[in-house]
Amino acid sequence: MKKLILAFDGVLESLSKWGLVSSFFVILALSVSSIVLRWLGQSPGWLDPLVRYLVFICAFLGGSLATSRGVHIRVDLFTKLVEASDSKALHWIQRNLVALFCLVTTVVLTKASWDFFLVEKEFGAPSFLHIHSSNLVAIIPLGIGLIALRFFNQLILGLYTGESREPDRVQ
Amino acid sequence: MSLIAYSSIIFLALLGAPIFAVMASLALVAFYFSGIELSAVAVEIFRLASAPTILTIPLFTFAGYVLAESKAPVRLLRLSQAAVGWMPGGVAIVCLFICAFFTAFTGASGVTIIAVGGLLYPMLVKEGYSEKFSLGLVTTCGSLGLLFPPSLPIILYGIIAKVDIDQLFLAGLVPGFILMLILGLYSMYQSRGIARKKHTFSLTELKSSLWESRFELPIPVFVLGGIYGGFVTATEASALSAFYVLIANCFFTRDLSLSKDLPRIIVESLTLVGAILLILCCAMGLTNYLVDEEVPMKILAAMQTFITSKLLFLLVLNVFLLIVGCLMDIFSAIIVVVPLILPIAEQFGVNPLHLAIVFLTNLEIGYITPPVGINLFISSFRFNKPVLELYRASVPFLFLLIIALLIITYIPWLTLFWFNS
Repeated sequence: MKKLILAFDGVLESLSKWGLVSSFFVILALSVSSIVLRWLGQSPGWLDPLVRYLVFICAFLGGSLATSRGVHIRVDLFTKLVEASDSKALHWIQRNLVALFCLVTTVVLTKASWDFFLVEKEFGAPSFLHIHSSNLVAIIPLGIGLIALRFFNQLILGLYTGESREPDRVQ
Repeated sequence: MSLIAYSSIIFLALLGAPIFAVMASLALVAFYFSGIELSAVAVEIFRLASAPTILTIPLFTFAGYVLAESKAPVRLLRLSQAAVGWMPGGVAIVCLFICAFFTAFTGASGVTIIAVGGLLYPMLVKEGYSEKFSLGLVTTCGSLGLLFPPSLPIILYGIIAKVDIDQLFLAGLVPGFILMLILGLYSMYQSRGIARKKHTFSLTELKSSLWESRFELPIPVFVLGGIYGGFVTATEASALSAFYVLIANCFFTRDLSLSKDLPRIIVESLTLVGAILLILCCAMGLTNYLVDEEVPMKILAAMQTFITSKLLFLLVLNVFLLIVGCLMDIFSAIIVVVPLILPIAEQFGVNPLHLAIVFLTNLEIGYITPPVGINLFISSFRFNKPVLELYRASVPFLFLLIIALLIITYIPWLTLFWFNS
């Protein structure tokens, strides 16, 4: 079970990481091209929205990595107190309670955004580059769903093995 | 029932739940109990994708991370030492300049202390400054520069408050320099009576260090000159800065490897960006709900019974924001608190640009305010010192920054004179 979850989480980690790196290079290339094209008197209308939606995708991919690395922004006063207390049981309860809460929240949010996607699929219209607006809305359930999966893995690892992926330092 | 739900969420927030999950769950619960479809939360999240300045956040953050990871801190340190190291308090002033430069680009002060603090702290101690002063200065400087362009908190504030980012960049310049000036004067005062090493001014060294820093020095010119010269927008300036630092550090100075270092830096910087944007996404639903329910107006009505003047309002605002600043992360504070105080401040006749600078100065001070100012913990970790020692070291600086805050708060002209003329 542990191996399976770790392998699955590893796949999600790689997907998020390489998705983020490639999206960033595309964002940078398109943004610089957009400036050069504007200076040349040409400015394709699809460039700006495309870049913005790529940044939107990056928000969820970055969020997925922040989840696995435990670097989400949080009020960590009590976390520090719990860590300082040296009580393993207290630490276990705190960590899993938080993971469960995040899992429930992200699952409900995924469902809510899926409903929005269905509405948009029915009533939406083609947007830039003839992309249907529902495809753009689909970023939200997919992105939050990905984060929900990371919290699920974290919770399972935390509950059954008392472990989680070792957080890397970001700052 | 709703009270139990809200209380549980707040309890979990205190227990260390990520702010984005707290925001999302508060929005979901609020919408549920108001009988509104939960998909409305997703509709609010989707609005983020249409924010025109959203692109500046990942690009400027990336540029800052690249600079911090390269050898730019060492080169700029040499340049600053050559330029002002000979002055009384020169080394401490070098510290102010370097930290302001890096914080303006990285936004998140942790990066400044981690990347540059390690160079500056031993240098200050070696120069003869007391350990307490050196620790306090490096810790305080970790957030110095937040008012300078292209700082991430300024951009985020502009997006949330719908204030022009170009104007915000200008508005923060003089208040930012006031903070530096006050700390600089204090550093000069501290340098009296210590057996400092004598540094002589050398034109050759200045020229040589200027040449060595030739790739870093044009960056502020790109940003400020580009925007205010009318050549590029703030968004375009972020793209050019990111592209420039990438090319300069991977191909010219060769500080970083395109294949080894760059993916790591992208992942690190965009993980932070992802964490911030997620909060922004999830908070949009909640803050719009609060605004729809006229919560700011209700707070205003309650406040008007005992706050009758703009001056008193600003004083209360400062106290409130100092508390917020030492309890909450700057990004969460901007996203959550700004939509609530904006309409109230407007009613008291506070200019939105002035409010922005007062707000950000308060949160900058919050970084070093005990008990939970984040810089105190980062410095404690970075320099392996007890947090209590950091508390003691930061007190004189806290006092000085509060004086600067009062000046910035009660002389709005310092922020607004660009626009009055």
